[in-house]
Amino acid sequence: MHDLKMKYKGKKMAPAINAFHTFLYTPDETTHSGSHVRAADDLKRTMNTVIMALVPVLLFSMFNAGYQHFSAINGFPEDFSVMEHFLTWDNFWIGIVKVLPLLAVSYGVGLLVEFIFAVIKGHEVEEGYLVTGILVPLIVPIDTPLWMLAVAVVFGVVIGKEVFGGTGMNILNPALTIRAFLFFAYPTWMSGDKVWVHGARERSEEILAGATNVDAFSGETILGFLAQNKGAEMSYTVSDMFFGFIPGSVGETPTLLILLGGLFLIFSKIASWRIMLSAVLGSLFMGLVFNQVVELGWITETSKFYGLMNFDFWKHLLVGGLAFGIVYMATDPVTGAQTNRGKWFYGFFIGFLSVMIRVFNPAYPEGVFLAILLMNVFAPTIDHYVVRSNIKRRLKRLENAVIIPKDTDGKTAELQAETV
Amino acid sequence: MLEHIELFFKSIFIDNMVFAVFLGMCSYLAVSKKVATAVGLGAAVIFVLAVTVPLNWLLDKYLLQDGALAWLGPEYADYNLSFLSFILFIATIATMVQLVEIVVEKFSPSLYNSLGIFLPLIAVNCAILGGSLFMQAREIETLGLAFNYGVSSGIGWFLAILAIAAIREKIRYSNVPAPLRGLGITFIITGLMGIGFQSFGGMLTGGSDEAPAEEETTTVKVIEENKEKEIKEEIENNKEEVSYNNIIRK
Repeated sequence: MHDLKMKYKGKKMAPAINAFHTFLYTPDETTHSGSHVRAADDLKRTMNTVIMALVPVLLFSMFNAGYQHFSAINGFPEDFSVMEHFLTWDNFWIGIVKVLPLLAVSYGVGLLVEFIFAVIKGHEVEEGYLVTGILVPLIVPIDTPLWMLAVAVVFGVVIGKEVFGGTGMNILNPALTIRAFLFFAYPTWMSGDKVWVHGARERSEEILAGATNVDAFSGETILGFLAQNKGAEMSYTVSDMFFGFIPGSVGETPTLLILLGGLFLIFSKIASWRIMLSAVLGSLFMGLVFNQVVELGWITETSKFYGLMNFDFWKHLLVGGLAFGIVYMATDPVTGAQTNRGKWFYGFFIGFLSVMIRVFNPAYPEGVFLAILLMNVFAPTIDHYVVRSNIKRRLKRLENAVIIPKDTDGKTAELQAETV
Repeated sequence: MLEHIELFFKSIFIDNMVFAVFLGMCSYLAVSKKVATAVGLGAAVIFVLAVTVPLNWLLDKYLLQDGALAWLGPEYADYNLSFLSFILFIATIATMVQLVEIVVEKFSPSLYNSLGIFLPLIAVNCAILGGSLFMQAREIETLGLAFNYGVSSGIGWFLAILAIAAIREKIRYSNVPAPLRGLGITFIITGLMGIGFQSFGGMLTGGSDEAPAEEETTTVKVIEENKEKEIKEEIENNKEEVSYNNIIRK
């Protein structure tokens, strides 16, 4: 590796070789120009911390993929025990077959694009894709075809990030851009009741083709049930929702593990607690408003929105991608608001809009990713006004300031008159 | 009251002038380099829309619509002058803008200084004419609703230009690839912002009746898809355009 590095020094492929070199060894070169801050938490470590927070979710999702698949075929086990029904080799095998390829394609294609751009532009390969690459397989439905994912990743990385100049310059979260691209380009693969459990789609196609020896099964998400006003038919308990034994995108279900990951990110100071807290508050607030609307009897049971409006406000945090989005997506330091006061607004509106889109938009029962994208768009505006108001406040403070010189020999009054 | 609120939010977010129908793009792209000027232009658009849409509503109601001339006498009842609406609307807009400019200059020079430069610029903005024509096409019923429509679609445009101005200020020091600098990256940002605004697409489509949910969602999705395609085409076209420009420059 060292030899390769020396050989390619100054040549066109140098960034690619260097990237592999720093992946394996700590470089011993010093910087030659400019002033640099040396700190332990460089970009690579930041990214690795987030990945560490995501690994439990990934593992859980692999088991859950199998659990949902077999439960949908054989019916949910009567006396559920974690060891017997969940942490089994069969479940894990489905996870390996279905989830790992998603992960491999996401990393492979994304890093390939990054390498190509680094070689063309002649700078070092940036670590920005490390987190995006693990987020992407966790937020898509399990049966997403791999070529679709590859197309979306290319779109997300090129249009969403590289055209702005690479890591740290993008305005929208690349992982969410990828998700949005998939959602709008291939809506039949991204929503409905056939995509959330492995095999459901194939099975329904077999039945359409005339197979009679199999039963159809579907794995509707909880939000999907509610959006169709079928909440009563749902058999999931609150603890199912909390621990994540429910259908959904690959890694969005285990609220407990996401919560632990979020705490880990807060304590390692990678993610902003302000955004997380205010987003939770925002969603609770909106949920409470909707619950009140139902309680006051402003809408009837036949209304299209009744199912979701009647859903207890705190349960919104347990189902769908809200918790995942708040912890791992909204806190993206690049696309979020940068100022502390801005973060409160930014987070609050994410929670607020997510629940609003869930309830009001029949086309998307899962509005979290769109809400975050929308607030990504408005984050610079929020920052701009926070900065403006800071400048205004400090100018005012300067105007009202009284500068008292140390020796008070009659000049104080004069100075005061001048500054005021 | 409820219909006022619904129309207000609908025309700000769902039928946003920039992201849903791509109107008023020229000034949106040209005057969005700094937030301060963007705010000035946005305020001017709100103001002009608020004046011209109700005015054109009156014209439409009492001059142009099929049978609108009935108030002159029964023999005029079957005249239909709606083929004149383009020319009449645009004449109204131009004269109103000029008139307002003169009045503002006379009575409030400070407002004129901040707003006045933009007023002649937006007399020919397609978002303004678009506002009046949509008002006609969607058959908005009362004068109050027309005023509401003008103000709220102006606010939607204002929000769009405010957001993109802030983003452009933010990315000013980004290392954007040379061929995309300037207008190219702005088009791409607009497309991405359009994706963000898609979150409202299809909202508020249902009332409290028993809804034919399935059909509706599929049509909504088809519309979304088309819009998405449009956006992407826009991006693609724009890329070509930019590369053309570059070739020409070279």
